[in-house]
Amino acid sequence: MKKAVFALSVLALSATATVAADDPIAVRKALMQANAGAAGVSAAMLKGEMDYNPAVAKAALATFYGVASAFGDYFPEGSDAGDTRAAPAIWEDMDGFQAAVGEFRSDAMAGVQAAGENGPADREAFQAAVGPVLENCRSCHEDYQLKRN
Amino acid sequence: MKAALAAGALVVAGGLVFWLASAPGTLPAEALAGLEDGDAARGERVFWAGGCASCHAAEDAEGEARLRLGGGLRLETPFGDFVAPNISPHADGIGGWSDEAFANAMLRGVSPDGRHYYPSFPYTSYARMRPQDVVDLHAFMQTLPAVEGETDGHALGFPYAFRRGIGLWKRLNMHPGPVVALGDGDEAVARGRYLVEGPGHCGECHTPRDGFGGLDLANWLAGAAAAEGDGVVPNITPSEDGLAGWSAADIAYYLESGFTPSFDTVGGAMVAVQENMAELPAEDRQAIAAYLKAIPGRPDGHRPAP
Ligand code: HEC
Ligand code: HEC
Repeated sequence: MKKAVFALSVLALSATATVAADDPIAVRKALMQANAGAAGVSAAMLKGEMDYNPAVAKAALATFYGVASAFGDYFPEGSDAGDTRAAPAIWEDMDGFQAAVGEFRSDAMAGVQAAGENGPADREAFQAAVGPVLENCRSCHEDYQLKRN
Repeated sequence: MKAALAAGALVVAGGLVFWLASAPGTLPAEALAGLEDGDAARGERVFWAGGCASCHAAEDAEGEARLRLGGGLRLETPFGDFVAPNISPHADGIGGWSDEAFANAMLRGVSPDGRHYYPSFPYTSYARMRPQDVVDLHAFMQTLPAVEGETDGHALGFPYAFRRGIGLWKRLNMHPGPVVALGDGDEAVARGRYLVEGPGHCGECHTPRDGFGGLDLANWLAGAAAAEGDGVVPNITPSEDGLAGWSAADIAYYLESGFTPSFDTVGGAMVAVQENMAELPAEDRQAIAAYLKAIPGRPDGHRPAP
């Protein structure tokens, strides 16, 4: 339950992210928080900690798609310095980074399409739709995010 | 003259003591007596718990390639570079080894020709494994693809290139008993202790080491400087510096999916470990989580004491 509340609050956060548009680091962090929230509700439903709800599942997929569509715009030259774990590899290989974001976006788009009008019918359908989207988190972090430790 | 003779005798005596104290000790003959024949199906579970593929498969191997144990991973440490050898069932690997030879490597760190292995092969942890699990693991490994080719040797400086010296190190650092004393009451915690302290060899990265590379067991799992590079390996005891904020379900889910409670993702050396853990039955991941919540919480082990 705690996770669901957390998730809803970050969904709201993502809507207000544009307010700080002059601070790309803050915006991209808020976008990733929206992702984390969507991943949180997704996992809670897949694990059965939260009842499965097709509308919430659809909202999660739509959140991933929205984040993926905007995220690549918030890495201007010079925004590698500051309170950020964005790796220098992003600016050394901007094409590779944007391609990785593009892959995330197309996987999320496929998930949204699979969700259809009313969201994935059941937990299995949601697993199939969201699984490939979540795979992107790790592969992109491994290449483009500095380690926490 | 007499003094020189006496000194000479002392050196010889000292050398003899060293030679005896550092002699490789193999398992007693009856160690494997009374065991069932190795069972490959059970052995597969031991294989993933033991994380053999992390070092003995090619670096960044995915999927089926993690079962090709041709070796090659290079571990760059302050003591020199170690290369994980071929342990596939090929003549260039460990094809043809008996169960006894395999068990001596795993439980004693001794090779078939009676030499010490370097502890970069984490047998200080594997020594806590049950002999039946070792024999089952061996049976499973014999079903894996035979890979041709020998790997490069290790590149070590003096005195580490001298294997006999490892015998003394082992006397100080082989502790095959349980690390954390816990009541026998909880079955999941007991299973978790076995997996973490034995095959899972979690302490080899998460516990700080002394200047000679021995584990500081008083700071068990409290976090450590990374063996390679200049990062740190996090504290995974249930303290504020460690996993206090993670529920047991959070830990089990991390081991299954690689997602932290804040939905960050696993990174670095832990990626390969997590991929192995994902192959285990859910009850094993829950057991590991139960153990990590049951052990004493400690402040960070990689920070100098205040
Ligand atoms: C952290 C890396 C690492 C892991 C994990 C690891 N090994 Fe090794 N292993 C090594 C290294 C390095 C050596 C070489 C040691 C030496 O030469 O002294 C080695 C040597 C061996 C040998 C001796 C091979 C020979 O030709 O003499 C065997 C057998 C072996 N490992 C089996 C295993 C099994 C089984 C597992 C999983 C349960 C495993 N190892 C996990 C690094 C590792
Ligand atoms: C080869 C070294 C290595 C081994 C072996 C290892 N770990 Fe880790 N572990 C790490 C590193 C490095 C990290 C930090 C990962 C990161 O930065 O994302 C980590 C992170 C973790 C975390 C997350 C902690 C946090 O604060 O983010 C947990 C939980 C964990 N390990 C549990 C285990 C368990 C259980 C085992 C044994 C089955 C194990 N580890 C074995 C290196 C290792």
